[in-house]
Amino acid sequence: MNGIIIGQFIPGDGFFYKVDPRSKIAGIFFLMIAVFLLKDIYQVLGALLLTFGLLIIGKISFIKVLKGLKPIFILLIFTFVFQILINRQGNILVDTNLNISLINIGLVIILFVIWRFLAKFKKFNFLLFLGFLFGSIFIFIYSSFSFDYNLTSFNLQIYEKGIEMSIFVVIRLLIIITLSTILTLTTKPTDLTQGLESLLSPLKKIGFNSEDFALIISISLRYIPTIFDEANKIMQAQASRGADFSEGKLKEKLKQVISLLIPMFIIAFMRSEELADAMESRNFVPGKARTRIHELNYSYRDVLVTAFTVVFFAVALLFRLNVLGY
Amino acid sequence: MSYIEVKGLDYSYTKNKKVLKNIDFSINKGDWVAVLGHNGSGKSTLAKAMVGLIEPSIGSIKIDGLELNQDTVYDIRRKIGIVFQNPDNQFVGVTVKDDIAFGMENLAVPREEMLKRIDFFAKKVQMEKYLDKEPSQLSGGQKQRVAIAGILAMQTDIIIFDEATSMLDPFSREDLMKYIKKLHEEGLTIIMITHDINEALLADKMLILKSGEVFAYDDSHSLMKDKDVFRNSYLELPVALEIANSLTEKKYDSVKEKLWEYVSMK
Ligand SMILES: Nc1ncnc2c1ncn2[C@@H]1O[C@H](COP(=O)(O)OP(=O)(O)OP(=O)(O)O)[C@@H](O)[C@H]1O
Ligand SMILES: [Mg+2]
Repeated sequence: MNGIIIGQFIPGDGFFYKVDPRSKIAGIFFLMIAVFLLKDIYQVLGALLLTFGLLIIGKISFIKVLKGLKPIFILLIFTFVFQILINRQGNILVDTNLNISLINIGLVIILFVIWRFLAKFKKFNFLLFLGFLFGSIFIFIYSSFSFDYNLTSFNLQIYEKGIEMSIFVVIRLLIIITLSTILTLTTKPTDLTQGLESLLSPLKKIGFNSEDFALIISISLRYIPTIFDEANKIMQAQASRGADFSEGKLKEKLKQVISLLIPMFIIAFMRSEELADAMESRNFVPGKARTRIHELNYSYRDVLVTAFTVVFFAVALLFRLNVLGY
Repeated sequence: MSYIEVKGLDYSYTKNKKVLKNIDFSINKGDWVAVLGHNGSGKSTLAKAMVGLIEPSIGSIKIDGLELNQDTVYDIRRKIGIVFQNPDNQFVGVTVKDDIAFGMENLAVPREEMLKRIDFFAKKVQMEKYLDKEPSQLSGGQKQRVAIAGILAMQTDIIIFDEATSMLDPFSREDLMKYIKKLHEEGLTIIMITHDINEALLADKMLILKSGEVFAYDDSHSLMKDKDVFRNSYLELPVALEIANSLTEKKYDSVKEKLWEYVSMK
């Protein structure tokens, strides 16, 4: 775990690296709202193209963005399937019966085992998953044996609108994730917090101290790797005394987790006390004016980003209000 | 009047165990005082009391004529910098640069000046190549150097080092000591908590703590002549001094023994 870095920031020198974090945060915030204002599949497709355009301008590789998609892949698939099943508008495209029977369930389980077995080789994971998905559907639709015991049957209907909506929703998600990836990929965590601090500073009037807020975030960021290191050390120390973290029954595992958590909590408490001492002794007084080593500076790039955001937002709004139409 | 005056100081973390007992001493402006004592003798606790992180149950601390209390603590902290024992838990910034800047930011030092001092002091502790590194990418000794640079950059009148160089390799320690010596000559008041007797010998005075009490406080040279002081407070005499003592007592066998011990330890 040594040297893990929080956030996805990757050093580089594309266009967006030199944009002030404030314009980036505000821009992406409004672009996301704008994306939710869009109404149909053509509009989101256009927006997707524009987003890819941003990637090209920023010299950000698609592969990195795709990697950012990995954790929410299941969510995407789920959204897609859910939308297809739930929407019942437009022409009907597929109308068929699914036979949920003992043999079919058995076949699907066999397919599942094969899928998980092949997945162990860690190749073509996505293709395997699709194979499993379509294989199961195929089994439910077409396999029926005369001697089989039929549990129930399910009427699968897919409508035109359903497909359209699911594509619409998935593209919208794609855009939003791509946008946020652009932000996190090209902005250092420190700049991100400072940008946020600066943007939230008007809230001081209602009693929200954005400076303290930013400090809390940046200290948390700073300590996450340390805490991981700590967990590692404790685990190694316990392993060297015979604890085995990889095996054992649930009860034993639970015991091990607790034996890890308790020292971690105690250490974290001690740490935070010492850290507070160190900050205080270096003249930190909450809420007092300080100078800053990081300076945020606007440049012509920020004007471009802001202009793009404003135009995009305005167009989306006009679409929404049916002022623009086709 | 002395620059730092500690009078009748008592402190206990838990009810029935006093960690500091009736501590009395004073330090003049520009002095270099080494604080010695066995583990748990109360050195770090004393240091914390002097910067107002803990409040003594009895007794007073005066610095530059100001009595340390709730109202004066912020002013007093502007005069004292302290480098703590554990380098991990005093790293506030996300990067080396941020961390060196932290104290100066709090003192509202203008940005241009901060940048200058960061460059200067990062070089002084040989960390100029690591300015953008995060603490998890640094070794213990490197973190200690950053902590030292952060305190030096605040340019306070007094600096307390709490075993602040324990993780440095001998060469960088010597380098740093040279620089600290120079600052001392320019008028910096130094309180250096250490287990390294050779480092302590750089100081003008030695304050020896034993079980929370001041066991001895005198200038280094006169203390060195009294070998019992060291033995009775569980401290080690410098080898050269032990040998010198044995020689004056004409115990040649023990000289031989000491020398063998010294060689085999190295
Ligand atoms: N936060 C705390 N809570 C309770 N007791 C403490 C705390 N910190 C220190 N002590 C106790 O106070 C005594 C003095 O500790 P202190 O850290 O001042 O010793 P030290 O002289 O700095 O030792 P070392 O050479 O190991 O750094 C010890 O007996 C220790 O157990
Ligand atoms: Mg200590």
